[in-house]
Amino acid sequence: MEEKKSLWKFGTREVVNSAIGAALYGVLSFATNFLQLPSAGNVAFRPAVAIPLFFGVAFGPWVGFITGFFGNIIGDLLSGYGLWIWWDLGNGIMGLIAGLVANQITNYRDGKSILKAELYCALGIVVGMGVAALSEMWVSGADINTVIYFNFIPAVIPNLINGLILVPILMVAYQAILSRSGR
Amino acid sequence: MLITWGFRIRNSIMERIDPRARWIFSLAFLFSVTMFWDARFLLFFFILGFGWYSLAGVKWKESRRAWTLVSIILFTMIVVNTIITGGGAGGIVPPGGHLVWPEGITIPLFGWTIDFGLTYERIWFAQCQILRIVSISAIFIIIPFSMDPRLYGVTFKGLGFSDKLAYTMELAFRYVPTLARDFSVTLDAQKARGYELERMGGSLFQLLTRVAPLIVPVTMNSILTGEDVTNAMDLRCFGTHPRTWLIKLTYHWSDFLIIAVSVVILITSFILTTILGVGGFTVPEWFLALFGVV
Repeated sequence: MEEKKSLWKFGTREVVNSAIGAALYGVLSFATNFLQLPSAGNVAFRPAVAIPLFFGVAFGPWVGFITGFFGNIIGDLLSGYGLWIWWDLGNGIMGLIAGLVANQITNYRDGKSILKAELYCALGIVVGMGVAALSEMWVSGADINTVIYFNFIPAVIPNLINGLILVPILMVAYQAILSRSGR
Repeated sequence: MLITWGFRIRNSIMERIDPRARWIFSLAFLFSVTMFWDARFLLFFFILGFGWYSLAGVKWKESRRAWTLVSIILFTMIVVNTIITGGGAGGIVPPGGHLVWPEGITIPLFGWTIDFGLTYERIWFAQCQILRIVSISAIFIIIPFSMDPRLYGVTFKGLGFSDKLAYTMELAFRYVPTLARDFSVTLDAQKARGYELERMGGSLFQLLTRVAPLIVPVTMNSILTGEDVTNAMDLRCFGTHPRTWLIKLTYHWSDFLIIAVSVVILITSFILTTILGVGGFTVPEWFLALFGVV
């Protein structure tokens, strides 16, 4: 009998996966800091953004949230950029929304499941970065145009490209290790 | 790849403050300062923020990178938007105001006249934005340099987070060196196969396909390692009893004082702005008088 995945469960496995996800997101963000978008000013190209999205898709919304939230804190701590709680929260929301699809996926290689995951990831990126960017209005007093052109768009576009390309690759690889380990 | 935390022991006053008290102060400061647009109150927070910053004993060389990031944010947000395009006043600066160039700017040689709607009110607002953003930055930039990463878990537990959440944070910090090592090993292994991550150029997709052979094995390897850790923790009955922590945090009188000051600042800010209606955006008469517009 197939066990139905509980979406909001937070047991030992989720604790460990959240910790691994956060550490991985922090380390990979730091390690790939030198990649810059060609001809796009100072916008860092962060392939690591796929990590909270994938951990959300694979292990649920709490894991996605913690991976994004703590992972961004760790990345900032390693890079020495200071701590920007509202952007950490945005990264967390990104993983949380991607994680809402977790209990609908049974086979990570299946085209339909990948498509569903992509939709949730895209939604997560837009909402997560939207919340973070809008919070700049509260913190810095910036207006909506500034927030959209200087915060939201430069954060959303690279994240969408990274997330939508890398998450399916990670999903297929994850299915391979699931099949091999008989989980 | 060498991974190092920005934190090191400096024997600063900040290190003697309980990390829970520090978080309470930092968050109370953030919520309080964002209630004001009046430069006099913002100046108070600016002085308070840099007073707090100086307690950490962080050198300029260490925090330069973070301040560069803040400068870029300030430039895009204030110089480009508030001053040049005029959109950045966020509905706080009332429409109208005193134009800096009421006749427009005439370009020499060409004789063209450009209407530039910059007002003295917007200039004043820009400096209020600078005071506010720099104050907040001063509080949050020092955290990575002055807070021991080993204390995050127990601090969050002390702030009321659940054992599981606090433990997740603790575990994540301890995983960082292991994952950094795994990353280095994978990078070296892929390089031995002719992999060139550093080679720039090519399309965005090519850039991503170059990154995937690095990210995928590191991620999958970590998930497999995580299974062993989960089993080990389950065998030790993780989550069935409240946890004890290796490091114990104890409040001292000075920590209680900091918490009390934080609460007072937060409540006073709320009363001033919400009940008494003080602290909103105003341009002082003397500033306008400086330019002879009143």
